[in-house]
Amino acid sequence: MTEPRQIPVAELSFDDALAELQKTVAELEAGGQALERSIALYERGVALHERCAALLAEAELKVQQLVTRAGGALEAIDVRPEDARDAE
Amino acid sequence: MPADPYDGAVEDARIVTPPGTFGLQILAVSEATRVIGGLVRSDERLRDLWVEGEVGRVTISTAGHAYFALKDDKAQLQCVWFRDERVRSAFQPQTGLRIVVHGRIDLYEPQGTLQLYVESIQPSGVGNLTLKFEQLKAKLSQEGLFDGARKRPLPIRPATVAVVTSPTGAVWKDVCNVLARRWPLVRVVLVACAVQGEGSAESIVRALRRIERYVELLGAANRASEAPAVTILARGGGSIEDLWSFNDEAVVRAVVAHRLPVVTGIGHEVDVTLSDFAADVRAPTPSAAAELVVPDRAEFAASLARGADRMHGAAGRVIGDARREVDAERRALDRLHPAARLAAGRERAGDLLDRATRALRLRIGEGRSRQDRLGDALPGLVTRRLVVARGALGSAASALAVLGPNATLERGYAIVRTAPDGIIIREPVPAGSQLSIRVARGEFPATADRPARSTGGGKS
Repeated sequence: MTEPRQIPVAELSFDDALAELQKTVAELEAGGQALERSIALYERGVALHERCAALLAEAELKVQQLVTRAGGALEAIDVRPEDARDAE
Repeated sequence: MPADPYDGAVEDARIVTPPGTFGLQILAVSEATRVIGGLVRSDERLRDLWVEGEVGRVTISTAGHAYFALKDDKAQLQCVWFRDERVRSAFQPQTGLRIVVHGRIDLYEPQGTLQLYVESIQPSGVGNLTLKFEQLKAKLSQEGLFDGARKRPLPIRPATVAVVTSPTGAVWKDVCNVLARRWPLVRVVLVACAVQGEGSAESIVRALRRIERYVELLGAANRASEAPAVTILARGGGSIEDLWSFNDEAVVRAVVAHRLPVVTGIGHEVDVTLSDFAADVRAPTPSAAAELVVPDRAEFAASLARGADRMHGAAGRVIGDARREVDAERRALDRLHPAARLAAGRERAGDLLDRATRALRLRIGEGRSRQDRLGDALPGLVTRRLVVARGALGSAASALAVLGPNATLERGYAIVRTAPDGIIIREPVPAGSQLSIRVARGEFPATADRPARSTGGGKS
């Protein structure tokens, strides 16, 4: 609320959310902010924590195989582990 | 000459008894075999020897001992391999196989025959492979390819992991299972290759090159963040021949030159290949390699929860500090006394503190229900951590509940409740109802007057 340029938490990747959470905790612990700023940090931090925990709990492994297309282009395509092929 | 030339040490018999001394003496059979046995056992060359030959007919006795002949084109030697040694060996003698036997030669006196007592056997040619392994290892080591200083650190949380292995067999599925369990945020990309037999070394080298080309292509397409950050080179267990392509010089050099850090998981714990020496990290098995490249989800969630605890603590301290400041300010204002400034100061401070309290209480409440849901999805260790965290949240919330209404009452508001049951009044009450009115610094009884219009409310 004090930083309008913030990206909504729901749109952050795991790594971005985690990095911001770590920064937020450090800033809150260092203290010295105005009360309003502390509350804003805290609210953002709770949302970031929730985002990280949810992504971690809900993630599903993405399995792919690197295949060579005609003409030599390389592409990673989705496969089930048991459907991976011998093809190089 | 002693009365019995065979009484005493064998060496004595050999030394003190010149040829032909037996001439006039008739020996018992066991006496003759004793002399032979003594001679055989005294020769160091026969106590510990390696013999290479082809296996003849193999017989396994009911006791589990194996008997077989070891032959070449000129001679044969009877071998016996006792059960205890034999069952420990992965490799067994088969008729027609060329093998190298390690053991000792001794006389089997009941039969009067010389036998090779086997300690271990290996397929022929292993000696050559071992020699090649050691020679190549020494050469590459001299070039510095295995130096510790060359080893690169692994990325902490790679977004993408490349796996060079065969898509058939358990290894690839094991790697997927471990990654799915530990860190499902990762993307795993199989780069298929042959891992044994003719052409497998070249196939492994091509797979490593394909990864490099893929990384380059993504970089050129401005998608470098999707590129693999680490390569696992894996293969299941097997014989030294099965694993041999991982000792191939071209493979070893490709591992060293690979542009991503390489983790090897080849064979079992005991199998060590030159690729393992060349890798940035050697894992004992393919599954262990998968475990090494990603963090553990449960441990990570626990450390996240610790971060959240620290945040709750810091926010609680901020609120506490603010309250103490407000109290101090109010006491200062009381002393100064100009009524208008006092009221304004209280209003401003109280307002801010009220907002802070509301926000914090709201978030703590939500955080708690979110942690409840999270707790259901996580294994025991993490759940325990969350219980601790919930306890901390609970006490923070109750501290705030006390803090909240006080601040409001200080600003001149009152809480009106029915007496004696203490229900908070939000609607007009019948005339004569007994009430209790709470203000900032106390509570006093009251009685409701005749009811007015619903927006007005009762008045004592």
